[in-house]
Amino acid sequence: MRNGAESVSALLEMRGIVRRFGDLCANDNIDLDVRPGEILGLLGENGSGKSTLMKVLFGMLTPDAGSINFRGRPLAGHTPAEAMAAGIAMIHQHFMLIDAMTVTENVMLGWPAAGRVLRAKDVAARVREASQRFGLDLDPDAQIAKLPLGRRQRVEILKAILREAELLILDEPTSNLAPAEVADLLTILRRLRAENKGIVFITHKLPEVLEVCDNVVVLRTGRVAGRAPVAGASQGQLAEMMIGRDVSTPRKIDTARPPGEPRLEVLGLSAPGLAPLTFEIRSGEILGVAGVDGNGQIELVETLTGLRPARAGQIALKGCDVTRSTVAARMRLGLAYMPADRAYTALVKTMSVAENLMLRDSRRPPYGRGPILTRASGAAKARALMADYDIRARDPNFIVARLSGGNQQKIVVARELDRGPAVLIAHQAAWGLDPGATRFVLDRMIALRDEGAAILYVSSELEEVLAISDRVAVMARGGFAGIVPRPDVDMRQIGLWMAGRAA
Amino acid sequence: MLQARRVRLKPSGLAGRILLALLLSVICAAALIALSGHDPLAAFAAIARGAAGSEHQIGASLNRSTPYLVAGVGVALCFRGGVINIGAEGQIAVGGAGAAATALAFSAAPAPIAIVAALLGGALAGAAWAGVATAIHLGRRVHEVLATLLLNFVALLLVQQLLAGPLGQFGAGFLQSPLMPRSTWLPRLPGFDAHPGFLIAVVAAAACSFVLWRTPFGFALRVAGSSRLAAAYAGFSLARLTWGAMLAAGALAGLAGGIEVLGVHRRLIEGFSLGFGFKAVTVALLGAMEPLAVVPAALFVGLLESGSLAMQRQIGVPSALVTVIEGLTMLFVLVATVARK
Repeated sequence: MRNGAESVSALLEMRGIVRRFGDLCANDNIDLDVRPGEILGLLGENGSGKSTLMKVLFGMLTPDAGSINFRGRPLAGHTPAEAMAAGIAMIHQHFMLIDAMTVTENVMLGWPAAGRVLRAKDVAARVREASQRFGLDLDPDAQIAKLPLGRRQRVEILKAILREAELLILDEPTSNLAPAEVADLLTILRRLRAENKGIVFITHKLPEVLEVCDNVVVLRTGRVAGRAPVAGASQGQLAEMMIGRDVSTPRKIDTARPPGEPRLEVLGLSAPGLAPLTFEIRSGEILGVAGVDGNGQIELVETLTGLRPARAGQIALKGCDVTRSTVAARMRLGLAYMPADRAYTALVKTMSVAENLMLRDSRRPPYGRGPILTRASGAAKARALMADYDIRARDPNFIVARLSGGNQQKIVVARELDRGPAVLIAHQAAWGLDPGATRFVLDRMIALRDEGAAILYVSSELEEVLAISDRVAVMARGGFAGIVPRPDVDMRQIGLWMAGRAA
Repeated sequence: MLQARRVRLKPSGLAGRILLALLLSVICAAALIALSGHDPLAAFAAIARGAAGSEHQIGASLNRSTPYLVAGVGVALCFRGGVINIGAEGQIAVGGAGAAATALAFSAAPAPIAIVAALLGGALAGAAWAGVATAIHLGRRVHEVLATLLLNFVALLLVQQLLAGPLGQFGAGFLQSPLMPRSTWLPRLPGFDAHPGFLIAVVAAAACSFVLWRTPFGFALRVAGSSRLAAAYAGFSLARLTWGAMLAAGALAGLAGGIEVLGVHRRLIEGFSLGFGFKAVTVALLGAMEPLAVVPAALFVGLLESGSLAMQRQIGVPSALVTVIEGLTMLFVLVATVARK
């Protein structure tokens, strides 16, 4: 299949796509081809133009120039509904499913073929049949809310299959999945390829690309930086194509150094969704928390930061009991927090870069003095942080919603690290960032650790956790399934813990 | 080429879109007047003359705009913080009663002191009334729209009760207080038939603009209005922000009531502020919840209303048509400011 694809005529031909936002050229004359039975990896740093290109394809954005040919017919001025009808399916990072409904009901939603009077039984039979053929292992009557994330994603894939999509676009499909689920997904993708579907696989993760893709197209600053067959390529080559320089793993940390005094002490802490937890993090130490999302991570970090009340137990920061303290009081004691929810919690997207940089510090110099905002010194500070943390925006008054995801996250990182925190809680801090930006964030955290901060690093990316932690804990069902120093990590054991089995 | 055409069709700035909305509502108004069998241009001319044709008319228009502006700025402040305060109507009424009560108590004091005391009394009463709504909202988790809206009716009845009892003028045959002591009357502006209320209102608008854009409190309010989650994360106390915005809005509405009592009627009359509070909400939305932009919005409504009476007198177009024009303007402006996602 891999080599035979050359002779088949293209399923999708995008030619000379140009899309500008103001003076920014997000897509600059991009060509993209997908053949039937091909998995095309679409790589690129944050803000390199991948999302824009896919939005143009799916009819969510109009291109300023260029043409699209799909299954031999031109596609122009189309809406997402028309793109779907033509046979293009987009599977977003955030699933478009109704939690309270069953798999069958979600499949019927907005699908004309389900009938004016819904034929639930027929649809359920088709769900079962397709699920078997592609190895999706889905029960038509299962409620979405009760399915793990990996299964929910398969519901999205199933919807695409039943709607007879010929081209599937998967936008970072593995970022929320546990390792075993990732492997299952890749198997499903191979089956789709065997059925002659075309697939665009958008990702930052190079090992997955090497494993499943036939060809890759790499975008950099809105242009095609390279295209290559995957056979014979190495991870290093791909990374270099992506960012124009070699990115190795983050700086190795020196675990031999003895940690200092306890900075964060948690004793028997429990809350709804959180089993009693006891642990401590010392000065100069990073405790990494791995585990599949939805196992109590958000409950843990929000209880520690004061956004949720604790039901029982104690939290001490630098020796002070803060179990009942407000968010602001904990911040004053030196607690920094990078939330996983960037869109509504960590940032106010309708506000400017400068306003987001001062979000949690508006009463302190240089942003404010007493009851007044000192705007000139605040803007100067914002400019300095933008330079320091490589936040690429035209000026401090630029609206955050118009920045790429990576640049948005850098604002959060800059704001939380610049305060020189004693304790940092970082939740999915590198989520959705490209390798260059991820490395930048991890390096900054290691530097903070070396200066003596205590860090709780919560992520569903096991590799990230292993890369920077002094100790690794695994969360399952609201508690720590286990906790080990990094030199003693046994991958098989970690896998069992992640699956929720006791040590 | 494509881009150039787009720019002409959609004025990009907010101000441009609002101007376009105003233009559209004027066109609709003209069509309505023509339908009723009158000459739109003559009607507009009558409105203009009636609104600003003489010093007397200008004064009347400014007086009319004043309560809308003072209370509207407070409403805008609340809306910016995500607190939907529909209680200006009641807060103005209670503020008027508070100002009247204070003025009667200070009848012996020299003019400046008596005026300041009475206006403060009005502001305090308005803030207290807003405080009742806030306590119900935060304490019992009743939605703020319900708490503020329902207290309006209670406020009107309370003022009625006061006029039937301690504040009433015995034997007047109408629910009203005795005339306020002369020392508490707001002076006339030289050259205009207006009290200085409008100046107070503009200062209030400027102060609110400053608070909103130049203080950490205003910043916190804007964050809370955009995302409650982000505000909690930033360490702002939502309860404290709600108290701050509501008390400020209540004080402003109370001040509006006080100015109306001391500057226009010189006594407390039942129903003196009927509809003012709801008009204040209109004006706040018309001004896109930007305190300084509420100034022209309030002027627009005030001029239109005082001109409409002249139009009715002079050419017989019913002044109720102006209410229709106000409604249309409101709709067009909302569409213009909200439509773009």
